[in-house]
Amino acid sequence: MKFSNTDFQLMRWSLAAIGVSVLISGAILYSSIKYADYTLKNRRIAQSQMNNARNSLAMARQDRDNLSDYSKEYDKLEANEIVGDDHRLDWMEGLEKLRRQNLVIDFRYNIAPQKVYAPQPALDSGNFVIHYSEMKLQFDLLHEGQLLDFFSALNRKIKGHYQLDGCKLQRVATDGESGPAAGKNIKAECSGGWITLKNRNARS
Amino acid sequence: MKQALLLFLSADRLHAQLMAGSETVLQRDFTDTPEGRESFASVLQSTKCPAYLLTDMIEEDFRHEIVPHLMGSSRDALFQRKFDQFYRGTPFRKATLLQRQKTGRRDDDMLFSALTNPGLILPWLNIMQAQQTPLAGIYSVPQISEPLVKDLASKHLLLISWEKFSGLRQTYFSDHRLQISRLTPVHAELTFQDAVVNELGRTYQYLKSLSLLPSGQTLDVRILCNTDDRNELQNKLPDDRDVLYDFADINEVGKKLKLKYRFTDSDASQIFLHQLATSRPNTNYASSEHTRYYTLWQLRRALFWTSGALLVASIFWAFTTVWQSGVNSSAANELTAQAQRMSQQARHITQSFPVTDTPAADMKSSVSVMRKLDQYGSAPQTILDPISAVLDHFTQIGINELDWHESAAEPVAANTRADVPAQVILLKGDMQGFGDDFRAALSYLDRFRLDLEKRGYQITVLTKPLDVSPTGSIVNQNETGDNKLAFSFQLVWRPAT
Repeated sequence: MKFSNTDFQLMRWSLAAIGVSVLISGAILYSSIKYADYTLKNRRIAQSQMNNARNSLAMARQDRDNLSDYSKEYDKLEANEIVGDDHRLDWMEGLEKLRRQNLVIDFRYNIAPQKVYAPQPALDSGNFVIHYSEMKLQFDLLHEGQLLDFFSALNRKIKGHYQLDGCKLQRVATDGESGPAAGKNIKAECSGGWITLKNRNARS
Repeated sequence: MKQALLLFLSADRLHAQLMAGSETVLQRDFTDTPEGRESFASVLQSTKCPAYLLTDMIEEDFRHEIVPHLMGSSRDALFQRKFDQFYRGTPFRKATLLQRQKTGRRDDDMLFSALTNPGLILPWLNIMQAQQTPLAGIYSVPQISEPLVKDLASKHLLLISWEKFSGLRQTYFSDHRLQISRLTPVHAELTFQDAVVNELGRTYQYLKSLSLLPSGQTLDVRILCNTDDRNELQNKLPDDRDVLYDFADINEVGKKLKLKYRFTDSDASQIFLHQLATSRPNTNYASSEHTRYYTLWQLRRALFWTSGALLVASIFWAFTTVWQSGVNSSAANELTAQAQRMSQQARHITQSFPVTDTPAADMKSSVSVMRKLDQYGSAPQTILDPISAVLDHFTQIGINELDWHESAAEPVAANTRADVPAQVILLKGDMQGFGDDFRAALSYLDRFRLDLEKRGYQITVLTKPLDVSPTGSIVNQNETGDNKLAFSFQLVWRPAT
């Protein structure tokens, strides 16, 4: 069946009705979808705010726990001049004081330039850079106990953290007439370094 | 309420009745005269509901044909040829499939029929077309009679009815399928009962002559009439063993059809009109051009319904969406309130912190680093004390050199920690007081090694005082002038897990 102009005359109200219906339905659907999008977006924003607030609260609680657990120990690190810059003069003065105490027959030291330390196995240093100032020590000892006393005194009396990496102890030859001079029985060479922690955010 | 215009067309008049549901709202009769047609046109002007035209005319022809079973355009072409062959002069024609044969080629048993005098219909049809009346179809009384005999189990059945303005209608069914139908005008001087008595005999003979009613078969005759006519007919109809009469009370039939009409005589026009309004046959005599305005009316109605459905669906969708959005909205409010509470708690906690430049996380990481580094270093006491303790039990061993350092590259032994470097200690010494008793010296050194192992060291023997393995070389000690038995061990130690 083919449509003629008169047919469209007959159909005009129904065509108008479907047109109006499509328009109104479209408007209703568009508005409702927009409203749904708006509320969904609000919900997502609120969810995001909630997550942020939850994280903030968790961080605050963690900070509170950290403060109670670590603040005293951290204060000791600061007081012991481990956090911050090198205090090479303090180390030198401390070593000279030890020398005057005659804990060993004699010792010599050599402090190398500071470098960034990469511990093996590696460890997470957080917001800090670990600095390492290598210090080699050479000793003339009467017996091994002097070495123990020396390092015990070094740890107690000099501010800072000296990490001893190793030592080599050798008995001085005693055969024949060339016996040990001035009671020197053992030579020791030790290696290690002064550790300091530098906060990455700290102003240099 | 669903409206319908029912039209009953006989040879010389048109009966129209406007139905609202099962109620008759308006009834008019129009004679086949210019005045009658004008009057009909004026009625149609105010009535735009679907119209159903039921014809009851002598000029309706039936032809029974067996045709090949075809489909699609071939079938249409075949029907067109048959129509051109049988009913060239009329547009009101149709083909009805009676049955498909069960044997042979399984041909189609078709009934071709037509209203052969279009001049009786076209004037009324033209008026309806001019008034743009939605005509649903053009039907005939025989065509819609079949449901009235469905309940009667009969192989050969003749339905007799009387329509006041057209006459006595006799429709023959074989196996409940329409075969032929005859209309005999009933004149004023002839009563319905007499017409039945006269025409029944003729029809019986006619069926016999066409071999539609095989000899020896009983013809069931259902007569649609009221009680009075029934009583008269029972007296007048001849007793014949080949004919069985079944009187259907027209009021009872009307009640079964839920027809709100009081029958005062045996006129069955209302029965057929109601039958048409309630259950229309699938085929009719109208062409698609005749029912053009009905198609448009259906399309209009479909568009209105679609518009409504679209609106309802969109409103329902919008309602569902808004309801769902309400859930989101209240969830957002709840989340915002929770976030505010948590932020307040966090502020409360941070406000209680002491004033410091260093964040708590940095405190933790610096302390953790130093705790860890403490495990990396090696205090001399921890190295020397265990070895000295073992040496106290081995007085014949003297240590000449002791060298220790850290190493992360050493393999990790079972039950020791892998996260701290190993302490690697090199021991060099000699043994005295064994003379030439190498066996005792080696045994002594082995016990020394075992004692060190008991303290958790992994020991690699680097050199022995005497290599007695098959691959070693042995030199006479006295000849070299060296009476000390030198050895060297490598000790590796990690803290236990």
